[in-house]
Amino acid sequence: MRFKSLLALALCCYATMAISAEDKVELPAPSSSAQRLYSHAKADIVQLRSLLKNGRTQSSVGSGFLIGKSNLAVTNYHVMSQIALEPDTYVGEYVDTNGKRGTVKLLAVDVLHDLAVVSIDRKGGGFFNVPDKLPPLAQGQYLYSMGNPLDLGFAISEGAYNGIVNRSFYDQLMFTGPINAGMSGGPSVTVDGRVAGVNVSKRLDGELVSFLVPVRFVRDLLKKVARQKQVPKDFKLVVGQQLLEHQKSMMDRLEHTPLTFKELKPYKVPVWESDQVRCWGRSNSNQNKPYSFDQVNCAMESALFVSNRIQTGHISIQHKLLQSTELGALRFSALAGNTFKNQDRSGNKDRRFTAPQCVEQFVTNDKLPMRAVLCVRAYRKFPGLYDFSLFTASTDSGQMSLQSSISTSGVSYENGLRITRIFLENASRENQP
Amino acid sequence: MSAPFYIEVLARNGEVRQRQRVDALPIRIGQGYDNDFILDDRHTSAHHAVIEGNETGGLEVIDLGSRNGVVHKGKRQARLTIDGNTVFRLGHTNLRVRTADFSVADEMRDTTLHYWEGLPPALTGLVLMVLLALLSTWVTNTEKTESIRYATGVVGLLSIGLLWSGGWSLVNRLFGGQTRFGRHLFIAASGLVVMEIASILESLAAYAFSLETLTRYGSHVAVAIAAGMVYFHLVTINPVHKRRRFAFVSVLLFFLGSGMILIVNYQSRGRLADELYMSELFSPGLRMSSDKTVDQFIAESKQLKSIVDGERGKMLGDDGEDDGEGDMEE
Repeated sequence: MRFKSLLALALCCYATMAISAEDKVELPAPSSSAQRLYSHAKADIVQLRSLLKNGRTQSSVGSGFLIGKSNLAVTNYHVMSQIALEPDTYVGEYVDTNGKRGTVKLLAVDVLHDLAVVSIDRKGGGFFNVPDKLPPLAQGQYLYSMGNPLDLGFAISEGAYNGIVNRSFYDQLMFTGPINAGMSGGPSVTVDGRVAGVNVSKRLDGELVSFLVPVRFVRDLLKKVARQKQVPKDFKLVVGQQLLEHQKSMMDRLEHTPLTFKELKPYKVPVWESDQVRCWGRSNSNQNKPYSFDQVNCAMESALFVSNRIQTGHISIQHKLLQSTELGALRFSALAGNTFKNQDRSGNKDRRFTAPQCVEQFVTNDKLPMRAVLCVRAYRKFPGLYDFSLFTASTDSGQMSLQSSISTSGVSYENGLRITRIFLENASRENQP
Repeated sequence: MSAPFYIEVLARNGEVRQRQRVDALPIRIGQGYDNDFILDDRHTSAHHAVIEGNETGGLEVIDLGSRNGVVHKGKRQARLTIDGNTVFRLGHTNLRVRTADFSVADEMRDTTLHYWEGLPPALTGLVLMVLLALLSTWVTNTEKTESIRYATGVVGLLSIGLLWSGGWSLVNRLFGGQTRFGRHLFIAASGLVVMEIASILESLAAYAFSLETLTRYGSHVAVAIAAGMVYFHLVTINPVHKRRRFAFVSVLLFFLGSGMILIVNYQSRGRLADELYMSELFSPGLRMSSDKTVDQFIAESKQLKSIVDGERGKMLGDDGEDDGEGDMEE
């Protein structure tokens, strides 16, 4: 899970962080085409803010753009997440390039692709259009990204389109250009003004590595808005439904990915390795320790943004082999026990999740006897969704301990159990002692 | 009744503070220097009372018209018949009169081990503590061996043990007249050793027989042992006192301590147990009960669903962590 931070998901960084990011990345001078585009598009881009109802102080800001001559604006779901999940606490407001303000009404969300459609009290000038047929983009093609970076003022920046990234679970476009916090939800257009995608995120560990939501998902969501007879009363239910859909497709995709077996001699451990789930290994280099460890970590590179404190739809797999080199049986037991201890630190005071409940057993799959602990917690706001944590430790040797930890977030109970079963059934030892 | 007579001033707990022999009746008592027994008590009169023999051959205390009188069992008496066990009060002074023919209680059996006082138990206690600290540091410190860790382990445990037994010695000096530091140190050290052994046995049994409850509620065993230590400390302070009362105090302490642990666990984590799951891992040779199959584990996990869903229904109080989200730019 900790590697998730590599992807500054949804540009959701605090203002201070954002400022330090700004120091690193200098905005290139806009070209003449950028000037032309901005002057045409200016009337149709807005800044979207979510305000605390109580006192109307600004809580978060992002960007959006008006579609055609309608009053519909497209933005990211994560810009609107507070309004979707806590409509009693937050309210939306827009500010356009002329400084006009007005209210924002949420119409539809797409959590999986991070999109939202809102209506505002003015109409667009017809610059941004999302036609049914979308011509393909060519790698290297210039794209112009618009929005209101860091709440400093409206801006346009230039970069290159660099193909579709398949590291994230759903397709995203790689944009080699600066996107800063606050530009989320703004449009990225081609030189002739065609919408290519919606600004969504950037990698904090890279330079100018940014991501866009492909415009076809915008098209699909707008169609859905056109079809929908009334605005959902409770967006929490909609979000919950979409999270359930996501976990289903995540599970389908995992089950279609054959298990890869990694060797932690003498054990063989199962992992899923694919474009979305990446693995890396580690082993202790410190020779002073009286024990050695080798580790295989695999984690999905992306997670779904639900709110500032919930990111879900994620799986991470860790296998760790501890081997005693000098420790006797007693001291090795103490080491193995300590490593196995306190792996689930969640408590009962969290507004997002219930307190974890666990099942613990000594289990064998005929190839390897294990100590297995399964801890499950439920999402308070989203019925039917759970976080599963499976911790196992091999119990076949007094000098070696294979400890695995499989964390799956935002899955149905059934799918959580399926993943648990897969990992319990597939751990093995090559040569039985 | 036979002379001589002994007048005894008693402390509130019944111990004799002062004893004076008087050879003949009547015995005049008061603050004045012309009395047979002089009271150093501002709440008594110069000639407060007199003790005389009565017709039946017993003794009698007669109030000589004092302001505060002669009080027996909370009641003021003008004339009080007394025997060797009657305690009466003049002013703030508790008195008892015994005659030479008073029959005393039988000689008690001496259960105190007199050679086990002072240095021998103190040294044994110290050695036990040092060994315990070294052993537990050795077992738990699985990183590179550093002698400083052993030193801090020993110093840490010793300071706790010395403080604890020092405190008890102080109480012992107050109520028992002597410190008996060696004894208290030995009791503390033995208690710590027993705690360690008990925790090892619990862990082993839990691992061998799949008895997770043992480690989940292991802290209560430690509390019980600590309560047992308190019992032995109390007995050391006052070996003559009723032991049942000390046992009662210890049991009470155990329930208090255990209750506190349960409350703290429930408040902070929402469960009564000390830990979420058992983490003990030992050599496979120690496993006694048979392992479950994966199917059995999954079946048991299925049943967990209703419990987890039940947790969803529990509403959070106001102390729940807020979903509060600060200023963001997205």
